[in-house]
This record gives sequence, C-alpha cells and structure tokens, in this order.
Amino acid sequence: MLKKDLILRNPLSLLGHDTDDILPAGSFGAVLARAGVGKTALMVQIALNAVLRDKNVLHISLNDPVQKVSLWYEEVFRNIAKIQNLQGINDLWETILTHRFIMTFQVEGFSVPKLKERLTDLTAQGIFFPQMVIIDGLPFDNPVDLLTDIKLLSVDYRLPIWFSIRTHQREIAEPDGLPPQIVSVSDMFDIILQLQPEGKDVLVKALKGGPSEAGHPALFLDPATLLIR
Amino acid sequence: MEKNIQKVRNIGISAHIDSGKTTLTERILYYTKRIHTIHDVKGKDGVGATMDSMELERERGITIASAATFCEWQNHQINIIDTPGHVDFTIEVERSLRVLDGAILVLCAVGGVQSQSITVDQQMKRYNVPCLAFINKCDRSGANPTRVIQQLKEKLGHNPVPLQIPIGLEANLEGLVDIVDMKAMYFDGDNGENIRIEEIPASLQDEARNARELLLDVASVVSDELTEAILEERDIPSELLLSAIRKATLERKMTPVFMGSAYRNKGVQPLLDGVTRLLPCPSDVENQALDTENDEAVVTLATDSEKPVVAFAFKLEDGQYGQLTYIRVYQGTIAKGSTIVNVRNGRKVKVGRVARMHADQMEDIEAIPAGHIGALFGIDCASGDTFVAPGLSLTMTSMFVPAPVISLSIVPKDNKSQINMSKALNRFTKEDPTFKSHYNDETNETIIEGMGELHLEVYVERMKREYNAEVTTGMPQVAYRETITRKAEFNYVHKKQTGGSGQYGRVAGYMEPAEEDFVFVNEVTGGAIPTQYIAACEKGFRLCLPKGPKLGYPVTGVRVVINDGASHAVDSSDMAFQAAARGAFLEGYAKAKAVIHEPIMKVVVETPTEFQGSAMGLLNQRRGMIVGAQDEGVMCSIEAQVPLAEMFGFSTVLRSSTQGKAQFTMEFSTYKQVPQSVSEELIKKVSESKKHVA
Repeated sequence: MLKKDLILRNPLSLLGHDTDDILPAGSFGAVLARAGVGKTALMVQIALNAVLRDKNVLHISLNDPVQKVSLWYEEVFRNIAKIQNLQGINDLWETILTHRFIMTFQVEGFSVPKLKERLTDLTAQGIFFPQMVIIDGLPFDNPVDLLTDIKLLSVDYRLPIWFSIRTHQREIAEPDGLPPQIVSVSDMFDIILQLQPEGKDVLVKALKGGPSEAGHPALFLDPATLLIR
Repeated sequence: MEKNIQKVRNIGISAHIDSGKTTLTERILYYTKRIHTIHDVKGKDGVGATMDSMELERERGITIASAATFCEWQNHQINIIDTPGHVDFTIEVERSLRVLDGAILVLCAVGGVQSQSITVDQQMKRYNVPCLAFINKCDRSGANPTRVIQQLKEKLGHNPVPLQIPIGLEANLEGLVDIVDMKAMYFDGDNGENIRIEEIPASLQDEARNARELLLDVASVVSDELTEAILEERDIPSELLLSAIRKATLERKMTPVFMGSAYRNKGVQPLLDGVTRLLPCPSDVENQALDTENDEAVVTLATDSEKPVVAFAFKLEDGQYGQLTYIRVYQGTIAKGSTIVNVRNGRKVKVGRVARMHADQMEDIEAIPAGHIGALFGIDCASGDTFVAPGLSLTMTSMFVPAPVISLSIVPKDNKSQINMSKALNRFTKEDPTFKSHYNDETNETIIEGMGELHLEVYVERMKREYNAEVTTGMPQVAYRETITRKAEFNYVHKKQTGGSGQYGRVAGYMEPAEEDFVFVNEVTGGAIPTQYIAACEKGFRLCLPKGPKLGYPVTGVRVVINDGASHAVDSSDMAFQAAARGAFLEGYAKAKAVIHEPIMKVVVETPTEFQGSAMGLLNQRRGMIVGAQDEGVMCSIEAQVPLAEMFGFSTVLRSSTQGKAQFTMEFSTYKQVPQSVSEELIKKVSESKKHVA
C-alpha cells in the first residue's frame, strides 16, 4: 500500500511518460547541471522511482564512496516519505535495499571491459540482475568512444542508462541549447534534462525528450530538499 | 610526575590491524629511553614488542588489551594507550578513546584507509578526539602516501595536510622533508637515533614549496596573524605556523600528516615532536560529568589538582599483584592513602598503592594529579566506574555498551578447571562489559556471550593460558530474539480453588509492537484491578520476557496495555495477579503473530579486485545483502549486511578462495526478521533439542 502511495504521488511521473519506465531498454538519458545544483539528487529520485516499481537499479558512482551514495538514497527516500506524510516506512526501505546495488570506481580506473566484468560477476552468480543503470560522475571530456562502448553494453544487457553530466558556468551553449560536451554524442540520448537555477528554484528543463515536448507543466527542484515538486 | 599540565599529553595510537602501531609504540618507547633494545611484533628474538604484554598477543602478533604506558619527550610527559586493532575488540578502543585527549591514526602506506580505520575514526569523531595521521611502512613496495592522503579525505572526510614529504619511497626511502622548517631530515645510526638535518634535495624543492603553500593555505584559515603575515609576504616563523596548525588540529579542522617507517626507524622522532607541539594537553579539552543528584545535569570539570577528585576507571587487568585498575583523573588528585567513593555502588575505597604503568612493568608513585593516567592496586570495581571525592555525586557519561550477539557453551574438563574457569569469568566480565556469562540450569552448561566469534575465542584461549582452565566449547549460538508483529487482545482469568485460600485475578487489555524493548501501560480505571496489584501484573508480564513462548528466545519490542480486570476481596493476591498476567501474556502472544529476529552484521570484505566476484559470491551464499562494491585500484571493498548465523567459519572460506589475500571486518548492525524457511528450521532444531533434554 505504502509503495503504491509513493509511486502515485511521485512527481517524477510528471516527466511526461505514459509508461512506467521513463527510458526504454538500451537507451540513454542524461541529467545536466553545474556542480552542486542537484544532479545526484535527481538521479537518485529517478532510481527510487524505478526501485519502487520493483526494478533493480545498479548505481555506479565515480565520485563518491558506497557509504555516501547509500546516504543519498536514504536521505532522498526519507525526505519523500516526510513530504508525503507516510508512516512506517522502515520495512519499505528494507525492500528498497534489495533492489539497489552500488558500485563505485575511481575515475581513472573506470572502463567498459571492467564494468562488463563486474556485471558478469553479479549476474553469473545470481547476485543481482540490473534493470536500469545510473552512472554518476563520468567525465565527458572525450565521450564518443566511451559512450559507443557503453551503448553496445546497454543494448546487450537491455539496460536503460542515465548519466549525470557536469556543465560549467561560462560555457557557451550550442544553438540548440546543448552544452558543448554533449553535442557530439547527443544523438545517442533519448532524453536530456538540464537543471537550471532560476531565482530560488531549480528548473528541470528538457533539452531533448521529456515534459515540455509532451506539454506538461514545468517541473522544479525544491532547493531545500532537492526533490522534484 | 609533571606538575605543569601544559606539558602532559594523553594519546592513543589507533589503527587497522597490521598497520604497525605496536612497532611504532615500541620505537617511541625506545627513543624516549623507556626501553633500551627494540623487539619486534612476532619477534624472532622470542621477546616480542613491549606493549604486547599478553602471551597470546605476542603469539598472534596482535594487540588485544590496551596497555597504558608513559614516556617523556622534550620535557613533555606522554601517556600512551595502545589500542586493539581488531573490530571484535571495539569496546576496548572506545574505552581508550574516552580517556584520551588526542590520538595518532596510524595508516599503512600500502593498504591505506581500511575498514577498521573507518570504524576507529568514527569512534574518534564521537569522542571528538583531535588526531595526527602517521603514514607508516613507506619503505614497503607499493607504498603510496599520496593515495593514503587522498583516502583520508575521501573515505574519512578529514582535511589531511602533509607536514612532511618523503625523500625516496619503498626500498629507497632515505628520509623526510619537514615542510614547516623547510629542512631535510635523515635518520642515522643503527636505530635511526641520530637525526641529520640538511638542505632539501634540489629534486624535491618544488614539491616542498607546493606542499608548504597548501599547508599555509589551510593553517591561515584559523589564524589571522598567519593570514596577515602571508598577505604582507613576511617571513613566517615556524612557531607562528605551528601554533596555527595546532589550533586547526584541536578544532578538528585539519589532520596533520606525518610519514615514515617505524620498522626502518625513520620518522618517529618528528612524529613525537608533533605530539608535543600539536596535540592537546588535558586542560585544552573540556570534560563533562553528570550530576546524579541533580537529574543528571551536565557539569564541566576543571583540570585542577586542588579540586575534589573525579576519576574514571577505564581498564582492569589481573596482574601478579592482584587487580590493577587503570584510571584517568579528570579533576583533583588521587593520592596514596586518600579515600574515594565508587559512584556506582556508593562504596568508600581507601587508595593503597598508586602506580604508573609501563606495559606490564610498573613504577610506584605518590599521587595521580588531574589530567594524568595511572593505575591503582587492590580496588574492587568494574571498568567504566567513576570514582569521586566523598560528598560528590558526579558520574562520567556512561559509555554505550552493545548487547552481545553470540553465545557459546563451555564445560570445564575437570574440577580444578571448573574453579579456575569461574575465577577467569569473574575477571573477564569485570574487564569487558561486552563479555557476559551465565549458567544455564536446563543444560547444566556455562554460557559465555560476546560480540563475535573471535571475541569469544580469545577469552577461551586466555582461560587456558592465564588461568589454566581447560574447557570444551559447544557450537556458537546466535542471540535470536522474538517479537510480535500485530496488536492482540487478552482477557485472562486466573482462578484456583483447591482447598485453603484460593487465587483469583483477571487481567484484560492488549499488546502491540513497540520500538522499545518492553513498555507496560496501566489504563485500568475504576479500580477494576486494585492499585496494589498493578505492580504484580507488570512483574508477571516481565517474567515472561526472558523466555519467549514461541521458541524460548528473549522477547523484545512489546508494549502491554492493561485496561480492565477483576479481583476478589479474599482470594486476590500478588501471586494471583502475577499468574494472571503470565496467562494473559501467553494468550495475547499466541494471537500477536510472533516472529524471530536475528542479528545482522555489517561485513566489509577487502580483497584484490581479481577476487571481487568470488568474494561477492561467498557473501551472497550466506544470505548476505550486498550494499555495494568499491573499486580502489588494486584493492576493492565490498560492503554487505549478513546474518551472524551465516558467518561462522567465514574467515577460513574467504582465505581459501582468495589465496589468503582478502580480509574482512564485521560489526553488529541491527536485528531483522528471519526468513520463513530459516524460521522453520529453527523451530525444528529447538523442538529436537527439547526432546534431547527430555
């Protein structure tokens, strides 16, 4: 019951997709923002949205240790539950944990063959079968080759993959509004969301796919909790 | 005994097992002339390091009990507590940290920040202990101090700032560059006792300048004077820089990083300088006690030897001269012949011998003044007791003591062993609050309880060695618990009329799940149960808790509310209502859908990456829920939540499937409901053992 409540009230559903999954299998989504605006918070909300629908999420972080990523989930989950005034969420939290697996890599140690090896470790032994992947903190300096390899992996494993991409304040956006680091690979992405501070709020703006194309109202991140509202 | 409190340091040396802290302590004692030769851990000379005073510790090359010792360096008196490195003995570490003012966090230059370092660091944070980091083993192949500094930042959230850079690494480690004085140091002589100061080698000039800039940057945050000096581009005297570093360290805004190799006698003396210059003296730290007569109001203690005594017994040891109590005096002076009161039981104690300890040797002294650590003889107390001057009612904040999660039955082999065993148990339970023992009447066995398999193993081993008590041990048993999952009502009448005066009592109400262990609420109105019997009802309910009706495990998490009942003018009594409450409990419990809970441990496995898959597989086979895997270059760590019941013998299996290269730590995390299949198995086992007893 609790689970259903949370799914129904999850404002992420306002991202404007009729199906449960925002991203179809084998496709890419991206969350773009400057440092500290709320990329990880939004990614965690997207992951929680999937987990609440009993989807297994593999969260790969190239920035933070396991403990910190784990704290992000707990914080975001408890904030959502608090806002929705839900009681007795401890049991639900326990079930969420079984649908989430955190993997962290050092930036310089991350490679697609290594990721593939880790995925095989998990699936071959029946430890965890991811149905969605979040990759947080991957540098997008020279992304074409790396993303092509990851694309192949995502198609092989039928996985939707979300990336966080850090933008910089002084960057000049290309005519279609895309920041330079994603322009060369934007074709690979089905959805590109940008977090843009507007006054006190943070606007969730769809640069590709997403709510505005579907004619939905604008979405904002609450700057205090970094939750979509 | 040093009178000037500014020149006293109470420090601990905390770290992961095998990061070399016992070797470091040994070198410190050597350079401070407390010992005259150097012995090593697992020493070839059969003597062993001085701080590892227990035979067992020497044999295994690990430090189990924290031995206190003191030494002098540059006119400063340093009391050192050597703390255990294995997580199973965490209570020892916690107790030590409680009485320390500062600490050295020893890290291995190869292994870096490992899971136990994280646990110890969390404990240091809890007690707000400022610390220095010492990156040891820089002479080992694969040593990488830069990586360790990065890990200090990332994994422990410190703000590490190196005060030194190494001259050469691994086998080529020659000396260190001191960033504060901008000099190179080399350690000459057979045991590195002669420090040769020279100019910084040209190849390291740039690196040293950069490191100094970083240091100035961080230190200037806390010192306006230093900031001004930097802005005006004046020469910065070392004293000014050191005082800023000290301030930042005491506020835990910075962790000064020293490095070297204790084993190769490099870098220990500068570390000692760091201890005297950068770590706090007792009066720099605010210590608080609770006033038991004033609703436990917080009272700040003054590090003043003239004030009434407040002291904390943090460690007991059974030595050749009887019970030895390690004590930290926070306020006042404990002198030979003075009278102090144990706050826990109100007993007055006359102080006999007072000593300061040097591992297992001792030196008689007249008094322990405020701020110092010493030892008392022949005082009957438990660890964690507070001693005060007569008339005071202060207690040092009690430490959190976790409940045991594992038990083991022990049976003495003969009569002599039986007597020795009870002596040993008496001592151990006093020494270690997480170690408990009791006698099970049903099985006629003595049961010992503790925090992990190794914890209990070590005590069984100590019984043999120190007390000559041979015991056979049973299979380790997990401390399961029972609890209810839904609200259930009860309405029970206890009625007996078998000649003589009868028994009558009716108790009605409900029970429901609760966060606390047990809550009893009386909502009876109109005297349905006369007030004088309410206490008997509560007692009746409480008597049901130690042995749950489902499988005989202790019941927790129950809230019992009584709201109705009946009594009889002649036949009601305390006994009758106790029996009625017991009946009511059983009636309600049967309907309240009771379940079994088991202890879940947080397990962290550290393994070379090539064995990551097999290590995860092992955890998975043990009903473990893997939280995540952290890749750290050549090594990776896997964090999981695993039921304790599945962890027996894990170390052997882990070693054999990773060529002995992986290690793990385990600590209690929480209690969780056991899955249906396991619950059924438990029911089967319990009923079988009942048959066996019958």
